[in-house]
Amino acid sequence: MTGSGSGPLLELEGVSRVYGDEVQVHALREVSLEVHAGDFLSIIGPSGSGKSTMLGLLGCLDLPSSGTIRIDGQDVASLDDAGRSALRGNSIGFVFQQFHLIPHLSAVGNVEAALLYRGLRPSARRERALDALDRVGLAGRASHRPVQMSGGEQQRVAIARAIVTAPLMILADEPTGALDSANTSQVLDIFRDLRSDERAVVMVTHDLNVAATTDRTISMRDGRIVADDARGPDR
Amino acid sequence: MTRFVDLLSVAWAGLTARKSRTLLIMLGPIVGVAAMVGAVGLTESAKGDLKAKLAQLGTSLIVAQAGGAFGQQTPTLPDDAVVRAAAIPTVAGAAATSELSGIVAIPTVGSKDFFAAFPVPVQAADTALPQVLEVPMSEGRWLDQADLDDHARSAVLGAGLAKQYGYLRGEIRTIRLNQTDYGVVGVLGTVQLDPGLDNAVFITEWSAKNDFGSGGDPTTLYVRSRDGRTRATASALPTAVNLGGSNSVSTKIPSDALQASAQADKTLQQTALFAGLLALAVGGLGIANVMSISVIQRSTEIGIRRAVGHTRSQIAAQFLLEALFVGVLGGLIGAALGAGIVFTISAIAHWVVVLAYRQMPIWIGLAIGVSVVAGLSPSIKAARLEPLATLRLG
Repeated sequence: MTGSGSGPLLELEGVSRVYGDEVQVHALREVSLEVHAGDFLSIIGPSGSGKSTMLGLLGCLDLPSSGTIRIDGQDVASLDDAGRSALRGNSIGFVFQQFHLIPHLSAVGNVEAALLYRGLRPSARRERALDALDRVGLAGRASHRPVQMSGGEQQRVAIARAIVTAPLMILADEPTGALDSANTSQVLDIFRDLRSDERAVVMVTHDLNVAATTDRTISMRDGRIVADDARGPDR
Repeated sequence: MTRFVDLLSVAWAGLTARKSRTLLIMLGPIVGVAAMVGAVGLTESAKGDLKAKLAQLGTSLIVAQAGGAFGQQTPTLPDDAVVRAAAIPTVAGAAATSELSGIVAIPTVGSKDFFAAFPVPVQAADTALPQVLEVPMSEGRWLDQADLDDHARSAVLGAGLAKQYGYLRGEIRTIRLNQTDYGVVGVLGTVQLDPGLDNAVFITEWSAKNDFGSGGDPTTLYVRSRDGRTRATASALPTAVNLGGSNSVSTKIPSDALQASAQADKTLQQTALFAGLLALAVGGLGIANVMSISVIQRSTEIGIRRAVGHTRSQIAAQFLLEALFVGVLGGLIGAALGAGIVFTISAIAHWVVVLAYRQMPIWIGLAIGVSVVAGLSPSIKAARLEPLATLRLG
């Protein structure tokens, strides 16, 4: 899966998100942002700054109250549920703070879940899932259930699930938030390795040390972008 | 196709991941179908031996007798009753007997008083009688055309009489009817539908006329109708046999009494069927409840699946298919359980097992229907869950 030419992978244009009807909460105000293939960026900010709202919108899990979001050139608001689901499945890979693995499935079963309903034969699906697990160094744990694995291992399974569909963009929500320092550096190493010219990696974090490992840091406060610092790839 | 296989495997994995919960919601369909299969099976099996006997004997035999006019001694049917009966299109075969009265029979093997003499019913019978009765010979042969042609004094014993006489297999035996000796050529098997024939001696029509001065008019007509046309044949028979005659003709279907006693207790059966339906309905409510709770418990899983690209309809289908599996498995297990109960109790009570195989698919289908309907609301609820709300970002 590759981006459509030279345009941005992801484009936010004057995007606002308001929750509630009577008492309105402005979670995001008039945000504009472009994310290009090859970007390795972090979004930082204190609690309530709009990071999570931003992530939901970037990941096509939510729709803006106003403004336009384009993913790979496609206006998200114009798609129906099936279209947005397809876009999520094909173009976006999620990694969550709480790993969010399906508890009754094995590691490889969790990775395979991202490949379901695509017309793949079960053997081909399994092969791709095992490949992805191999890339995060967990080929030997394929048949283990989440409860049988450490936090770091679970997060690596989640990363394998995010990359198995070869998405245009990986969205990570505090990917190291629930990990100790050893596992944190291991997971960050993996994210660094995921950087490629065809793909963008977006990490939401409140940890400045984590943000410092990325090439570009977007700071948020009160629903607005207050800084967009590009450090360049050879920092 | 592979997408459907994906769906099946996802639903199956969802069910097998929580075995005790799955078993719990399966109880409704299991108990419901088991109750229905068991109820009908047990009430039918209790009459199973009668049913089996009925199936063996058939329900197509009709017995016609002359009603007789007032004052007439032995009412008889017209001479050509068999021919008339056979002319009815729904008749497969007919044979007549003519009862001779006041004949004393003495069983002999040379000695006169081998056995006490007593009057036995003597019947002049057609050569086709065993075929029409569908009763095989238990010994030897029946009266045949050669006996008629040769004016042979041949006799056949009824099964009961043969036993009374102590008739032995293959024994050469004679029987003295009034003053005339007859050679016993065979023993007729037991006639379950007309036990009166078991104690009779059968001789040819010629013998009856020649030795006992019988007029030869039949007293009883045995008619075998074609399958499923017994009642129509029975109602057509009196007119056909007696057209132009003075006697009335009465018909009876001897299997009717047997059939009545073989009827299962319908009230009991319906009560149990109703209980089964009730169990299914309550089971359906259980499925709906437990699945609704399950959707809440599995909201994170639903959120994850939505995040990796599964659509709302795929989520709904996943849960609906789980409900379908519950219905199919519960129905099958219930049917097996019900059948097991019927087999066990029948074995203990020495009943002949009768299972309602034809109704089982209907009951299992009912269990599936109830499960799917019960799963409908939870499935829609699952599909409507907002992934963002279930994934707790940030």
